[in-house]
Amino acid sequence: MAEYEVFDPVDPNDEFKEYSNDRKHRWRNIIILVIIIAVGAYLLTGVYQVGPSEVALVKTFGAYSSTTGPGIHLHLPYPFQSHVIVDVRTINKIEIGFRTTSSGRTTSYVFVEEEAEMITGDQNIISIEAIVQYRVSDPVDYAFNVIQGDDLVKLTSESVLREMVALLELEKVLTTERDKVAMETARRIQEIMNDYEAGIQIENVYLQDVTPPDPVVPAFDDVNNARQDQQTSINEAQRYANDVIPRAEGEAVKILNDAQAYAYEQISKATGEAERFRIMLEEYRKSEEITKNRLILDSIQKMLENSKIKVISEKGDTLNFINIAEVMGDD
Amino acid sequence: MIEMTKMTIWAVTIIIVFLGLFFGLTSFYIVEQTQQAVVLRFGEIKNVRTEPGVYVKAPFIDNVVKFEKRFMIYDIPVERVITFDRRTVLADTYAIWRIEDPKRFIETLGTMEVAMTRIDDIVYSHVRDVIGTYSFSEVLSIQRLKILEEIKKRSVNSLKDFGISIIDVRLKRTDLPQENTQAVYERMKSERYAMAAQLRAEGEKEAQKMKAEADKKVSIIKADAQKEAEIIRGTGEASATNIYSEAYSQDIDFYELQKTTQIYKDSFKNSILVIPNDSPLLKYFYNIK
Repeated sequence: MAEYEVFDPVDPNDEFKEYSNDRKHRWRNIIILVIIIAVGAYLLTGVYQVGPSEVALVKTFGAYSSTTGPGIHLHLPYPFQSHVIVDVRTINKIEIGFRTTSSGRTTSYVFVEEEAEMITGDQNIISIEAIVQYRVSDPVDYAFNVIQGDDLVKLTSESVLREMVALLELEKVLTTERDKVAMETARRIQEIMNDYEAGIQIENVYLQDVTPPDPVVPAFDDVNNARQDQQTSINEAQRYANDVIPRAEGEAVKILNDAQAYAYEQISKATGEAERFRIMLEEYRKSEEITKNRLILDSIQKMLENSKIKVISEKGDTLNFINIAEVMGDD
Repeated sequence: MIEMTKMTIWAVTIIIVFLGLFFGLTSFYIVEQTQQAVVLRFGEIKNVRTEPGVYVKAPFIDNVVKFEKRFMIYDIPVERVITFDRRTVLADTYAIWRIEDPKRFIETLGTMEVAMTRIDDIVYSHVRDVIGTYSFSEVLSIQRLKILEEIKKRSVNSLKDFGISIIDVRLKRTDLPQENTQAVYERMKSERYAMAAQLRAEGEKEAQKMKAEADKKVSIIKADAQKEAEIIRGTGEASATNIYSEAYSQDIDFYELQKTTQIYKDSFKNSILVIPNDSPLLKYFYNIK
């Protein structure tokens, strides 16, 4: 079909006429098209899209006139109306003393020494890593009152945190007052943001890492060790006391029991002997003379039995003639 | 002819539209919400616009200079400042400022760059002067707020004439120079080691005390027991003595007899017994004739 058309015989003159007429038409079409495109493009400056966490502030002749929520919207084209988009939901994070650097899947933290190190009230140095979270609470204030909102929060946070730390002693910042520092910092930053009418809401201030500076860490560890050592000494002493006192108590019981036993023995012996005496006395009284003689003779007999050598002498000096050593020798 | 007229109408329309656009663009200007503007006619200030909106100006003749209306941050570079007690601190300050009076601003400073150098000079000199009248420990104390307030007040006064309003001046950092930092570290270390030594010594002390107390308790317990024991023994002996004397007192002669004969029995073991020949024991011995 196309072949026939190509070889269709046409008068050359005629063709020229047709051609010039066609050209004129084509030019007009192009111009109309350009105008339509231009007008269309111009009108498109009035179309805008607002993301789910954002709002758009519409300005009429530069002055703020209304706020619109997420979705596709239309306003008058330039120069009559324009808009600014502000993210009001996302919580922004500011890092003090460190930076998060994420490359692909791995996240790493870089310590920023000059930002982390602060002077405490007792003129020591402490290293603090903190996070400040904030979000835009008033998009109009945020967009029209302040410039570089992020920097503003960052600088204010840094200065407030230092201010707080400078009011406290090192020991307190490290231990008891830590939470209070975070709370007070958040409160104070908020106060300043309100003063600036920055439209910023501080959500949270977290003190991530509160430590002594690296060069003095061993000294701090030593204090902790010393605390352990102290406790160990005390525990050892306690162990000693726990060991020695019950033993002594046991010994005391033994001493008392021995004494009681002794006393009992004494009394028993005495009672027994007294009873024996009484019984014997009773018998003795029945026949006093005989018993007396018997007792004496009995004892003399025993005495004689017991003695090793018996000597009968006329005078008491017989002993002078006996070699005692020889006589008593093999005993 | 008709063709020509048509062409002319087209051309005229286009020219009118372009001229209209051109004049529109040159004789109106928009001041944004975040801006303020000064209208200059051959360098002379004709008008100041601080409210946003659309305004008319004479095309070509009038020149509109726009300025920022929002709060701006000026971060002043770190400077060495000497305190009243001759200690050097690195003061890192920043100022929050805005152009309060665009007319004044353009008259005295002209551009933002000039303004920044001026702010730098003025705020820094106040920082130096004010901190110079306080001691280092005061800079670190609650006084800091007072110092900042004073710097702010002075800066506000000095910059008022330039149409600049200082909203805030704050100290971001007050650090010690490197050489002082080392000294602080050394001091912190020695303080900690001293503390550690004290803790250990206190532990020793406590331990000694506890041991001594335990020893004392042991001695007391034993002594008490000993005392009690002696009393018990004494009581026992006393009772025994009482029992003996009660029994023996019934007949002292018999007691003597019994005891004496008992002594005889018990006390001559393995001894040499010399019996004189006139002993009553031998009275029958010599009777045999």
